[in-house]
Amino acid sequence: MTVSSLSDFSQLSARAIRDGIVSGEFSAAEIASAAYSRIDALEPDIHAFNELTPQLAEEAAARIDAKVAAGELLPPLAGVPAAFKDNMNLVGTHTTCSSRILKNYQSVYDCSAVRRLLDAGALPIGKCNMDEFAFGSSTENSAFGPTRNPWDLDRVPGGSSGGSAAAVAAGMVTVSLGSDTGGSIRQPGALTGTVAMKPTYGRVSRYGIVAFASSLDQIGPFTRSVEDAAMVLNAIAGHDDMDATSVREAVPDFTVGLGDGVKGLRVGVVRDMVDLEGCAPEVRAATESALATLATLGAEVGEIDLPMSQHGLAAYYIIGPAEASSNLARFDGIRYGYRAPDAADVLDLYMRSRAEGFGAESIRRIMLGTHALSSGYYDAYYGTAQKTRTLITREFAAAFERFDVLITPTAPTVAFKIGEKAEDPLSMYLSDVYTIPLNLAGLPGISVPCAKSATTGLPIGVQIIGNHFDESTMLRVASALEAALALDMTPPLTGI
Amino acid sequence: MAKDRLTEVLERYEAVIGLEIHTELTSLNSKMFCGCPVAFGGEPNTRVCPVCLGLPGALPVPNEAAVEATVLAGLSVECAIAPYSQFHRKQYFYPDMPKDYQISQYDLPFCGFGHVDIEVDGDGVAERIDLDAAVSANLLERDSDGYVTRIGVTRIHLEEDTGKMVHVGGSEGRISGADHSLVDFNRAGTPLMELVSEPDIRTPEEARRFAQKLRSIFLALGISDCSMEEGSMRVDGNVSVRPRGQVELGTKSEIKNMNSFKTLHDALAYEIVRQADEIDAGGRIVQETRHYDVGAKRTSALRSKEEAHDYRYFPEPDMVPFEFTPEWIEGIRARLPELPDARRDRFVRDFGLPKGDARTLAADASFADFFEEAVALTGPSLAKPLVNWALGDFSAYLNAEGISLGESRVTSAMLAELVELIGDGTISGKQGKVVFVEMTTSGDAPGAIVALRGMKQVSDSDAIEAAVDRVMAASPAEVANYRAGKTTLIGWFVGQVMREMKGQGNPGLVNEVLARKLDA
Ligand SMILES: [Zn+2]
Repeated sequence: MTVSSLSDFSQLSARAIRDGIVSGEFSAAEIASAAYSRIDALEPDIHAFNELTPQLAEEAAARIDAKVAAGELLPPLAGVPAAFKDNMNLVGTHTTCSSRILKNYQSVYDCSAVRRLLDAGALPIGKCNMDEFAFGSSTENSAFGPTRNPWDLDRVPGGSSGGSAAAVAAGMVTVSLGSDTGGSIRQPGALTGTVAMKPTYGRVSRYGIVAFASSLDQIGPFTRSVEDAAMVLNAIAGHDDMDATSVREAVPDFTVGLGDGVKGLRVGVVRDMVDLEGCAPEVRAATESALATLATLGAEVGEIDLPMSQHGLAAYYIIGPAEASSNLARFDGIRYGYRAPDAADVLDLYMRSRAEGFGAESIRRIMLGTHALSSGYYDAYYGTAQKTRTLITREFAAAFERFDVLITPTAPTVAFKIGEKAEDPLSMYLSDVYTIPLNLAGLPGISVPCAKSATTGLPIGVQIIGNHFDESTMLRVASALEAALALDMTPPLTGI
Repeated sequence: MAKDRLTEVLERYEAVIGLEIHTELTSLNSKMFCGCPVAFGGEPNTRVCPVCLGLPGALPVPNEAAVEATVLAGLSVECAIAPYSQFHRKQYFYPDMPKDYQISQYDLPFCGFGHVDIEVDGDGVAERIDLDAAVSANLLERDSDGYVTRIGVTRIHLEEDTGKMVHVGGSEGRISGADHSLVDFNRAGTPLMELVSEPDIRTPEEARRFAQKLRSIFLALGISDCSMEEGSMRVDGNVSVRPRGQVELGTKSEIKNMNSFKTLHDALAYEIVRQADEIDAGGRIVQETRHYDVGAKRTSALRSKEEAHDYRYFPEPDMVPFEFTPEWIEGIRARLPELPDARRDRFVRDFGLPKGDARTLAADASFADFFEEAVALTGPSLAKPLVNWALGDFSAYLNAEGISLGESRVTSAMLAELVELIGDGTISGKQGKVVFVEMTTSGDAPGAIVALRGMKQVSDSDAIEAAVDRVMAASPAEVANYRAGKTTLIGWFVGQVMREMKGQGNPGLVNEVLARKLDA
């Protein structure tokens, strides 16, 4: 081990870590301890984690180091420190969803995507903070306190996977997994300057992730490079017998072709989204600049409007809460989780356990969803939202006849101040206006850093949208942009 | 309740009955949405996993065999199979339901628009007051034995069963007043097939026959053990009455807890009379769910605080819809076994069995298999004595021991051998009964028992002639009396000869030889 290489731990890529372990430059155990050292220094200010798992990490590192000693071939993510959003089950950890109702809940089985990442050699460093049950865009809706943005501790990291985003941005881990129901990976990715991907719906098994909205949820990675994102996707993608909505589509090697460039690719900018009234001028400018870069690299840039997608937000706030109200019914105080003491009878037990166990935003979504599915309202709300969803899907299908990828901003603004939108749910919901339509259509999307704000220095992300199961082309464009822009996305970490 | 009370009421009122029949697919290897085994009883919460416990993050994966079994059931009752169908979530809170919603089917069930023809004969025919008026288009046939009527099948869908609750500290094991409750999730997630009939049933007897017919069909399909006692087949009834001639339907009540075919009949009969009495007394029928108390032989209203449930059905997002191709459906149809009606007809045709016996035999597929195994050994000429033994002493033995066919000490080959021993005169029918009892206790083959006990019937005519000669020589007075006209003495002579032969003489031959020698 060389001290100089590990002092740069926070910027090491997954490939560099594996290569360093293979070459004997450092051991997996040293990597794990480097991760925890950095966490020790930064975590009190950032609060990215709900739980740290040093014992699991040590065991995993020991297995890797034993392989090295035995001269065995190492798996592709050997020794790569990884963190998981706290809605993913892993035996030996609590899975709380940042909710009081699951505060002491211990996993009894493994989430498939987590298991696959660990089987690929990653080290389980800990479980990350989130908005309660993934309801939110700032990680302020956590029962255990907000996560702070490593770029500015007074600001949110986005959400709901804010802990996963902050942990990668601050260099506490190399990769992390989040879940994205309406933008919960991509939006915090943009706000923390990380690479953040939501794969195609059905590409990654949902088994073991505590469901928010089953027809929208998808697991994906946070990384500091596009190549790392492709490597994580390689590990977690593919059919799973435990998830009936995971598809049997062939899984390519997503790292292949990353360097092929964008020459001749048809890139469509979604003009009406870029021009949306709520979009900050600096975000709009950064998007245009990214497009100009792609054009310079040889992409054929064109324009398209997606007017139906403007209704995505409304449809999402029916479908998402409707499914959530059903998925969260099981948290009733009967079998596990928080149970209100001294209930008079079963009904009282249900009502008090849920009222005391769930936070305000969860209760708001459960009530919205319950209402939307109620007899007499179903057709007007849920029925209409499903029709809208179908129209949005068709609109994208038509767009992909003209373009290979589509481009929008990821989020309309840079990271906002903690507390700024906490009392204004509608303004908070608007944070996901660009990301939600993809979940409704089941399309893959990736946010890559494309600029830093001239005034605040905060990161700005651009969203690249791929066609169904064509993450490869999307990653290729992301990789070309990343290489051309060559931005330094190391947060200043001032004030720590 | 006296039976004539029901017929008296049915003379003035027409009953309209529809049944909902839940059948657990007990023959499957695994539960509806997980790999846990399907079984009855066992240590509580031992056949569970994250999926059927509804743990956070667990997902349902549909059991294809359960879907196929349901489609097979649909095809067996002439249903159309939906080309597009899906699961929905039925949402309500209850502690025996791990997810607080039940995965069921709503407006897109697998099967619909089927029918079952039922035969009513015997005493139950009298309940059908309007038989001569022939007002119902569903009446297909009638003859001196009874009638055949067609009951529509509205739909058949698939869902998951709930867990079971045990209420501790209250009275009667009910939740109200209980000190605490325990939940056993072994049953949770068991594939449950629900069949809903059209309100085509007009009498309690028709309801019973319909349920029995479905049981016999499902047994033939091999999809369930259909035990009403263990709850693998559960029948709920919707009943209303209307004055004869009135077109408008009366208000219905739903009757639950009918856990035998007799209870099904009696509960519906009680409810019809109760509703008629209520109307006669100027009262009104309230739409409600009523519980049948087997001991008290009456129905009573369940406490119905939240009668108007809003189940907030919506399409199950954890699964994709089903699209059955015609080829796939035909593949399932090719798996249809011989159904009870066809088997009954074949038994009548090939073995000359009486229709009633043939139906009883065909109603239980494994019992019919047992019979066919035996008759294959004896040949069709002994089919009638075989069915008499099967439905007589053999059934009585199974019932008395409370055992299933599989647990019987008497195999089909053993019963066939017994019937052959009687048929060829080796032993008498009376000896056969003794041998059968011995078979049920020792499990020995009848041939071995006969040999061991020296029970072989003597059909050797020389031996019989010698015995007759000895008896006649020893009883000159009786011979003289007989020959003088007191022919009733023949019975005394038979007894003497049988005693001489230690009971092993062939009674037919003994009679024949005696008559010849005495009359000489
Ligand atoms: Zn199970």
